[in-house]
Amino acid sequence: MKALQAHQLSKTYRKSKQPALDSLDLEIDAGQIFTMLGRNGAGKTTFLRIASTQLLPTSGTVTVLGLDAVKDAKELRGRIAMAPQEAETIYPLTPRDHVLLSLRMRGMEKGEATKRAQEALDALELTEVADVNSDWLSGGLKQRVIVAMVMRTDADLIFLDEPTIGLDPVNRRRVWDQLTRLKQSGKTIVLTTHYMDEAEALSDSLVIINKGKVMASGTPRSVKAAVTSRTTRVDVFDKFNLSELGAFGHVVTIAGRFRVLTDAEAAKRLGDEAVARNASIAISPVTLDDVFVDIVGEAERGEENGR
Amino acid sequence: MYYLGFTPMVRNPLFMAFVFSTPFTLLFILFVASNGTALPYGLAGALTMITTELGLFVGTDLATYKLQNRFQDMVVASPVSPLIYMFGVALSELIFGAPALLILFGLIAGQGATLGALLSCLGVVILLWITTTSLGFFFSAYAPNTQNAFIINGFITTMLSVLPPVYYSVNVLPSFLVPLAVVIPTTEASSLFQGAIGLGYSIEPTSGFAALLAATFIMLLLVSFRMKWRET
Ligand SMILES: Nc1ncnc2c1ncn2[C@@H]1O[C@H](COP(=O)(O)OP(=O)(O)O)[C@@H](O)[C@H]1O
Ligand SMILES: [Mg+2]
Repeated sequence: MKALQAHQLSKTYRKSKQPALDSLDLEIDAGQIFTMLGRNGAGKTTFLRIASTQLLPTSGTVTVLGLDAVKDAKELRGRIAMAPQEAETIYPLTPRDHVLLSLRMRGMEKGEATKRAQEALDALELTEVADVNSDWLSGGLKQRVIVAMVMRTDADLIFLDEPTIGLDPVNRRRVWDQLTRLKQSGKTIVLTTHYMDEAEALSDSLVIINKGKVMASGTPRSVKAAVTSRTTRVDVFDKFNLSELGAFGHVVTIAGRFRVLTDAEAAKRLGDEAVARNASIAISPVTLDDVFVDIVGEAERGEENGR
Repeated sequence: MYYLGFTPMVRNPLFMAFVFSTPFTLLFILFVASNGTALPYGLAGALTMITTELGLFVGTDLATYKLQNRFQDMVVASPVSPLIYMFGVALSELIFGAPALLILFGLIAGQGATLGALLSCLGVVILLWITTTSLGFFFSAYAPNTQNAFIINGFITTMLSVLPPVYYSVNVLPSFLVPLAVVIPTTEASSLFQGAIGLGYSIEPTSGFAALLAATFIMLLLVSFRMKWRET
């Protein structure tokens, strides 16, 4: 069953010429973790806000849990939950207040809400700070409070907009674990991220979007396979120049060194050449990161601009 | 209506001092300047102003929850309707306004108002509160940022509760301004308070009450059906 289907979905904000979403088509299976991957400004938030009934599209349709997100918004709202991007905690509520607020406003009975709030706080390891003023919490803790707010709702489909932004690696993995658990309990999860490793580790399927268009979609594995025959990457640290490397594959510049995306055969030849020159190189399989850089066509990913 | 669930959303306690400050300052100035004779007008005015403030502050808060906390995004993507959301936040805020209201009611009772008069004052407070809360909520949807929401609501508070005949009687206005004043709900409310305190009604009470009721209704309808709940 499909949990979400978007058909020719477009959005151009008033006062803006470029579309934020451009004839987007995608489908999400129920019971999956689906990731929308893209750079800042790619249109991820726009998509999530339209699908979660907060924003109207300019054209096209999006059907969520069999309901039209525009026409059946009222009915749909009872069945979804959303953790917005860059949400802030509310002064002077505690983390527990936040989670309770989120559960109770959805109409959950008090005893049940209290129990579930505790579960959500425990799951995100917020137990110790559950009853302190949220203003005192660090950014990472605040972000986990926001995630905790949608963790134990009765919603069938949960949207999370960049849920791990600002979290350290340990806490990011903690959130991944919890999202995986949530999926195992039968829910569909739609999240956005610009972390490739997150999409790769977490999602059953994903799309890469750029400038409001789908660039690639499928499982992390199929996306890697489909968009590139280059299965191997060679990081070259010295003793080669750009034009020489071009003979071995597709070269991108990353932080002052070269990365050659290529197949196993060419990697081997490059390896031999490097040994002959006594150069330092490292050979490894491509990651989604490489694929992303490859298809979005951005050699320099160090500094991301826009929003 | 099911349980609102917004009660934990209470305010910073300092807010209480804030609610007290302007209306009571004006009350005090009026009291001193008139050697005490204008106190009843001051009471009617302060009651109107506090109620208006409480309502419009809900608007400021809602703008913050929308723009800064993004909490409204969460609420939109949930079964909560705009009206329930508004009242949930408004009620949790009323807790902090209640002491100020109680003191004013005490002072009005001290002026020799009957129980009936006090009850009618309470009715008027509720209607005015709903009207101004809705107004605040409605405007909050159009505020581009929280600072602006704060300024806009402060401005509306002044326009609604200092300029029109709130701290004084409609009768002292030049006659060409009277029609202008009576379309403002705070004028009606204050006139009803003034009457209840025994100053005499400057607007016929039934028509004043009817006008206030109508204003409340219109604002509620606006919020239910015209609220910019989903963005375009
Ligand atoms: N409210 C808005 N008004 C006008 N343009 C907007 C608005 N929100 C986003 N945009 C523009 O739409 C594009 C997509 O933004 P967004 O969906 O926020 O991207 P992402 O979440 O992938 O970073 C960007 O170019 C952004 O500047
Ligand atoms: Mg975004």
